Amino acid sequence: MLQVILSGLATGAVYGLVAMGFAVAFYVTRVINFAEGQLLMVAVMVAAAIARTGAWTGFALAGGVVAAMLAGVGTYLVAVRPVLAFSRFSFAWLVSTLGVALILQNVAAIIWGPTSRSFPTLLNGHGVHIGSATLTVQELVTIGAAVAVAVSFEVVRKRTLFGKAGMAVAYDPEMASALGANTGLMAVIAFAGAGLFAGIAGILIGPITYSNPYLGDTYGIAGFVALMIGGTEKPVGAMVGGLILGILEEASKSVINTQASDWFPFVVVVVILLLMPRGLFSIGPQLRGIGRLWRRPRAAVS
Amino acid sequence: MAETESRGLVSAEASAAPAGPEADVRARAGRRVPWREPTLLVAVAGFLGFTYYVAHDGSLYLQGLILVAAVFAILAVSLDLVAGMVGLYSLGHAGLFALGAYGTTLLYNDRHWNLFVLLPTSMFGVGLVGLLLGTLSLRVSGLYFAITTFIFTLVITVVASDFAFTGGYGGLIGPIFPGFPGWLDWLGQSLLWCCMALLLLAVLLSLGLRRSPLYPVLLAIRDAEPFAAAAGAKTALLKIGLFGVSAALAGAAGWVFSFQGFISPGQFNWTVSVNILVMVILGGINTTIGPVLGAAFVSIFPAQVNINPFWQEVLFGGLFLGVIVVYPAGFWGLVEAAGARLFGLLPERARPQLPATAAAAAEPSAPVGVPRLVAAAREGARHPEAVPAAADGPDPASPGRLAVECRGVRFAYGPGAPAVNDVDFLVRQGSIHGLIGPNGSGKTTLVNLIAGRLKPQAGTIELDGSPVGKGGPAARARAGFTRTFQAPVLVRELSVADNVGVGLYSRIPRVVPRAPVWPVLPTARRDGRLMRERAADALRFVGADGWDRSRIANVPHGIQQLTQLAAAVVAGPRAVILDEPLAGLSPTEVEHVATILGELKSAGMSVILIEHQPRFVFALCDEVTVLDAGEVVAAGPAAEVRENARVREVYLGQ
Repeated sequence: MLQVILSGLATGAVYGLVAMGFAVAFYVTRVINFAEGQLLMVAVMVAAAIARTGAWTGFALAGGVVAAMLAGVGTYLVAVRPVLAFSRFSFAWLVSTLGVALILQNVAAIIWGPTSRSFPTLLNGHGVHIGSATLTVQELVTIGAAVAVAVSFEVVRKRTLFGKAGMAVAYDPEMASALGANTGLMAVIAFAGAGLFAGIAGILIGPITYSNPYLGDTYGIAGFVALMIGGTEKPVGAMVGGLILGILEEASKSVINTQASDWFPFVVVVVILLLMPRGLFSIGPQLRGIGRLWRRPRAAVS
Repeated sequence: MAETESRGLVSAEASAAPAGPEADVRARAGRRVPWREPTLLVAVAGFLGFTYYVAHDGSLYLQGLILVAAVFAILAVSLDLVAGMVGLYSLGHAGLFALGAYGTTLLYNDRHWNLFVLLPTSMFGVGLVGLLLGTLSLRVSGLYFAITTFIFTLVITVVASDFAFTGGYGGLIGPIFPGFPGWLDWLGQSLLWCCMALLLLAVLLSLGLRRSPLYPVLLAIRDAEPFAAAAGAKTALLKIGLFGVSAALAGAAGWVFSFQGFISPGQFNWTVSVNILVMVILGGINTTIGPVLGAAFVSIFPAQVNINPFWQEVLFGGLFLGVIVVYPAGFWGLVEAAGARLFGLLPERARPQLPATAAAAAEPSAPVGVPRLVAAAREGARHPEAVPAAADGPDPASPGRLAVECRGVRFAYGPGAPAVNDVDFLVRQGSIHGLIGPNGSGKTTLVNLIAGRLKPQAGTIELDGSPVGKGGPAARARAGFTRTFQAPVLVRELSVADNVGVGLYSRIPRVVPRAPVWPVLPTARRDGRLMRERAADALRFVGADGWDRSRIANVPHGIQQLTQLAAAVVAGPRAVILDEPLAGLSPTEVEHVATILGELKSAGMSVILIEHQPRFVFALCDEVTVLDAGEVVAAGPAAEVRENARVREVYLGQ
C-alpha cells in the first residue's frame, strides 16, 4: 500500500509538472499547448546529448532545461501569437501547436535517431527503504522537486506583483493591458514557464526512461489528463491532478492488472468530470457566494 | 458552392467601393444566391465525374486512398456542423466513429444483420449516443466540452482494446461490401460510390442548413445565446439535436469504414479525434467545403509524399503551422482570398456612405410605420403557411387589459439580499411603461424574470391574463413577448438584416425539419422572400435600412441598438421589453428612438422601457414604476410618480 502510494507519487510528480506546464500557459493565454510533452522530450534529448560529450552532468541538465524553455518561447512566438492576433477565441492554436509538436518530435528523431539512448543515471542507482516500501533516491528527489516547484510557483503567483499581473492578464487581457500590464511579455514568460516545468520533469524522469524522441507523446497525454483532473482554474490543481493520476495508475497496476493502468484512471476522470465539470479544484460560484456573505458585514462596518 | 455574399456582388456599389480589410470573408452568410445553383450543379457533376474516374479507372491503391479521405471528409463535415455552427468543439468524434464501425462489424459478424439495415441502425444508434453526449454541453462548454468528449473517445478505445468481444488490440475482420448488380457494373467499385454518395449527402445537408433561416439562429446560439432564446429558439434542444445529427453522420462514416477490411482500436484513438478537428480548422471552420479539403489533405498528404518519413512528418507539421499562421481561416480562407484577388470580388459590400446618426439615416426613406408591420402580421395569419404568422397581433381595441401582471415577485441570486423583493409590476396593454431605478435596483432582474431567463422564487407572473408556464425565454417569445438587451447581444459575423431575421425564428413554420433541405423547397423560397421583406420592413421602420448588408461587427453602437429593436419587433409581438435602448445614443438618435416607441404604442404594442435617465422616461412613458434596492418605490401615471416625494428623494436626488 505504502509502496503503491510512494511509487504513484513519484510517477505522478512528473505528470503533475507537465500538467503545470500546460496550466501556466493556458492560464495566461487560454491556449492548450499541444507541444508541451515535446518540451519535456527536448529537455531529455538535449541533456542526454550534452552528457554524451562528456560535459559535467549539472551542465547537461541545465542545458536541457534551458533548451526546453527556449522551445517553449519559440512555440509561443511561432505558433500561438500569430493565431491569437487573428482571433482570441478561435481554436486555430490546436492545429499550430500540434504542428510544432510534430516538428520537434521528428527533428529530434532525425538528429538523435528514433531509438532510446542513454541518459545520466543521476541518483537512480541508490535505493531507500521507507517503512515497507523501497524507492530510488531519484524518485524521492522527484517528489520533493515537484512539491517545491508547485509551492514556489504559488508563492510567486499570489505574493508578487508580477504574479498578480499574470492573474489579471489571465482574467481579462484587454483590461490588464489597459492598466499597464505587458500582456505580450506575460505570455512569453508563461511559455518559458511551461518549458521550465516540462524541462524539470524531463531531467527528473530521464534516468528512468532514457532519451527517446517519442517521450513527448506519453508524457504529454498523461500531463493533459492530469490537467483535466485538477482543472485549469489553478496551476497548482494540475500538480495535485498529476499526483492523483500517478497513484491511480500504480494502484490499478497492483490491484487490478497491468493493463488496467490504461483505462482505470480514465474511468476516475470521467466520474470527476461528471461531478465537477471544471476539475477537482474549480471553485463553484456558490462557494464564492458564501465567502462574500462572511465578508459583507465587516465591509459594512468599515 | 462558392460561398460569397451575392447581393453585394450584383450591386453596382460593390465594385466601386473597396471593402475594408475587415470585410471578412466570413461575412458571406450563405443564403439566397441566385447564381449559385448552377455552380452547385457543376460542382456536383464534377464530384460524380471524379468518383466515376476513381471507381472505374483508378488503381486499387488510389481507390483505397480516396475511400479513406472520403470517410474522413464525412467525419470532418459532421464535426464542422457542431464546431462551426454552435461552437461545440467535440473530441468525441473518433469515439462515435468507432461505435459506428464496431457496431456494424459486430452486428454483421455475430448476428448476421443485413448490411443495408445496418446503415440506418448505425446512424440511429450513434445519433442517440450523440444526443447523450450533446446534453453534456449544457453543463460544460468550450474547452471543457472538448475535454469531456475527449474522455468519451478514450473510454471507447479502451473498451475496444481491453475486452474480448471487440477482438482486443488485434481488432476484427469487417464485412465485405457487395458489388454492384450486373446492370450497374460499368460504375466500377461499389464501396467507393457508396462512400462518396454519403459524403455528398453530408455536404448537401450541411450546405442546406447553412442556407436556411436556421443558420443565423445557430450562430446566435454560438455567439449570443440570450438573443437566440429571446427570439424563440429552444437553444439547448437545438444544440443537442444538432450534435445528434453530427453523431449520426459519424456513425455513417463508421459504417462505411467497417468495409475497409479490418478494424482495430488504433484506428479510432484520441489522436484521430484531434486529427478530425485539425482537418476542420485547417480546411476552414464553418465553411463545409473547407473541412472536406482539410480531410483530403491530411489523409492523402502522408501517403503521397514519399520522402524520409521523419522529414515528411516535419514537413506535415510545418504545413499545419504555415497554413494556419498565414491563413487563420484555413484553406477555404485561402481559396476565397485567391478568388477575391482573381475576380475582384469582395464578399461584403462596403459600408454605406451613411450619415453619422441613425436619425439621419431614417430621413431618405419614409418610415414604414408599425401599421404596415402589423398589417403584414395579420395578413400572415390568413396564410398560416406563410412566414409572418403572428397569429394574434397586438389588439388596440382593449387598452384596459394588462399585458404584464407581476404580483409579489421575489428573486435572489444567492444567499443574501434579494435582487427583487415582493414586487408588483403592472403594465397596461398598449402603453409605454417606464421602469426606472438606480444601478443595482433590480430592473434588469425583473425584466429577466418577465422574459423567462430567471424563474421567480415567489410570486406570480401573468402575461396577457394567463400565468406563465414552465417554458423559458423561447416560450415567451412564442407568446409574443420579445426583448432587447442592455449591451447589444447580436451575431457579429452576420449582417444587420440577418440578425433581424433571427427575430423571425418563431414565425417560420417547421423551420427545423425543413432546414436541411431548405434550398430545394418551393415553400422555403416563398418563406425566405417573405422573411427578407419583413426584415427589410423592420429595418426601414427603425431607420437602419441603409445598413442591412453590413456586418454587425462593422456598424456603430447606435445601429446595433436599432438592430436589436428591429429584431424584437419584426415578428409583430404583443409587447416588447427594451433594456436601456437609449444607452450610448446621441441626442438625435434618442429623439429617433422616442418616435419609434410612439409608433409602436399607437399600433397597440405594449412597451416596457428600462431607462436610467429620468428626463426621457417621464416625457415618453404613460406609466412609470420606480425600483430601489429591489422594491417598488412608486408606480402609476408618469406625472404622479414624478411628483412622488420618495421618488424625488431616492432617485432624482432632490
